[in-house]
Amino acid sequence: MIKRFMLPLLAVFLLGTSVSHASKESKPFAEERIVLQISDPNPFKQTLVLNVASNLLKHYGQDKVDIEIVAFGPGLRLLFKDNSNKTRISKLSGAGVQFAACKNTIRNMGKKLGHPPELNAAATPVSAGVVRIIDLMNQGYKLVKP
Amino acid sequence: MIKNLMKKTIIAAGIANCLMMTSTAFGANWLMLQGTEPDDAAPRAKLWGFIQTQYQKDNSDPNGAGEYIAPKLINANLTAQEQFNVNRARIGVRGTGFPLDGKVNYFFLAEFGSNAITLANGGNPRITDASITLNQIPGARIRTGLFKTPGPEEGLQAIHVFDYINFTTVANQLMLERFPNTQYTGNNANPTLPIETPINGFNKPVGAFRDVGIQVFDTFRKGPWEHSYAVMLGNGNGLNFGDNDGNKDLYLYWASEKVYGGKKGRRQGTKLFVWSQTGKRLLDQTNDGTFNPEEFDRKRMGFGFKHLKKPYRVSFEYMSGEGMIFVGPNRPTFVINPTNAATTNAGNGANGKADGWYLDGGWYIPGSKWEIDARYDVYNRLTDATPFPGGPNAGRTFEMQFKTTTLGAQYHINKKTRINMEVSKRDFSAPDFPTGAGPNANLDGVDTRYAVQLTHIF
Repeated sequence: MIKRFMLPLLAVFLLGTSVSHASKESKPFAEERIVLQISDPNPFKQTLVLNVASNLLKHYGQDKVDIEIVAFGPGLRLLFKDNSNKTRISKLSGAGVQFAACKNTIRNMGKKLGHPPELNAAATPVSAGVVRIIDLMNQGYKLVKP
Repeated sequence: MIKNLMKKTIIAAGIANCLMMTSTAFGANWLMLQGTEPDDAAPRAKLWGFIQTQYQKDNSDPNGAGEYIAPKLINANLTAQEQFNVNRARIGVRGTGFPLDGKVNYFFLAEFGSNAITLANGGNPRITDASITLNQIPGARIRTGLFKTPGPEEGLQAIHVFDYINFTTVANQLMLERFPNTQYTGNNANPTLPIETPINGFNKPVGAFRDVGIQVFDTFRKGPWEHSYAVMLGNGNGLNFGDNDGNKDLYLYWASEKVYGGKKGRRQGTKLFVWSQTGKRLLDQTNDGTFNPEEFDRKRMGFGFKHLKKPYRVSFEYMSGEGMIFVGPNRPTFVINPTNAATTNAGNGANGKADGWYLDGGWYIPGSKWEIDARYDVYNRLTDATPFPGGPNAGRTFEMQFKTTTLGAQYHINKKTRINMEVSKRDFSAPDFPTGAGPNANLDGVDTRYAVQLTHIF
């Protein structure tokens, strides 16, 4: 009987701690958690994903929404050091939006460039962009691909 | 020449570096809009272009013999006083070929419309822009190939956002260069309608405010101000690839703009600018069956301002020139009357001087899709012309004054489509001659011109 209640409770507790571990660090009071995917070569998508992040912040309020933008594939250009959107990225980062850069893509682009691309200081390298998205979704984040 | 250029380039780059404060990535001016792409946010190949279709009607009267001069006929084929035309149909591609390296970009554009670029080429399409820009050196971007030269605002700006249909006379005659034919070509007579032989005696495309060469340029932001410079060395041969005389043209440009907001070609600000162009041209003025061209200087300079803060726009520009003064499309000799020139040098544009200016204003009607435009432009051609030494015209020169008042309106159907309408009241005269005499026999009849144009950008 006790076992029957304890196991689900333990599972909920463990799941809860993993979600809160990610969110408590950045947005402990967030009511919505969104992961935005940018993997498209079209530069218009760069603007679009940043617009979506801004609109989410405006709608929910800075403390009520937790946003992470995960860039991989051709979309990683958004997080290049000199990207023309760097001012917007800096502002969003200041508002708590997190940026993840795929290490696989960094490595592959480095082979083509002859050196690893220089990234925006706001970007945090993650082992694989798609894995990061899955991890965040498992923690309760909703995936949006603008 | 090269040493001088290098010196000027270093000085310009030095000044520019001193002014470099924050970002160098702002792209909202003509140098940057046409020569660069947003850092790491440009496509591999963006297909774009625009089409302009138009209708123009000229109400001018012929001279006493029933003959017409170019200002009384509709550009560019100059065969009628009223016509429909597809005057521009341009398609191009731009971007960065290797998107992982945003420090290199390209710009390609070709003209398929019917105008002075294509007609001299037998009506065939013509490449108007083909350039590569290297952005690796802070404060000194390098653009090479065929592109718009540093120069007057009317020429440097993107034509598809130009607020009028027709250029000012000073921009058209002084800055839109007509290149001498390779060998002596006699003047064409003023025709009667219908025109059997084309009035235009030039056999090369107009310069289209472009040249093939290399340009060092950049833009720097300091607070609300944006400072831009450009130093260019070119063939001095317009759209004609290759250098036909072994001389190079030097183009210099500086602009400082207080930026208020907006984006790209419609950005709002107050811009002050100054520019100069110097070069040489070969011109065969002797009708002796021998290729014996002489070298003439071509010097141009100008300065002005453009203030755009909606709902108002005001702009002004002064331009002056010395040498290679164009005196009509039917006069590839650059001389109004070669017989006179041989004896008196009267009416010879090869060594002539000219100047002009325009004042332009616009009002964007709040809450509507309409703009109202008004422009007054003056062009004084052959201001230093040699007077006739004797005869009935003794003491008189071939100086001509072109004064035009243009009223226009624009209706924006959407962000990429608009209709331009304009009426130009023209007052052309040769002040040294009485009404009906000398050049005034032709100029007196110049009258109002009406134009409607639809532009669609894609």
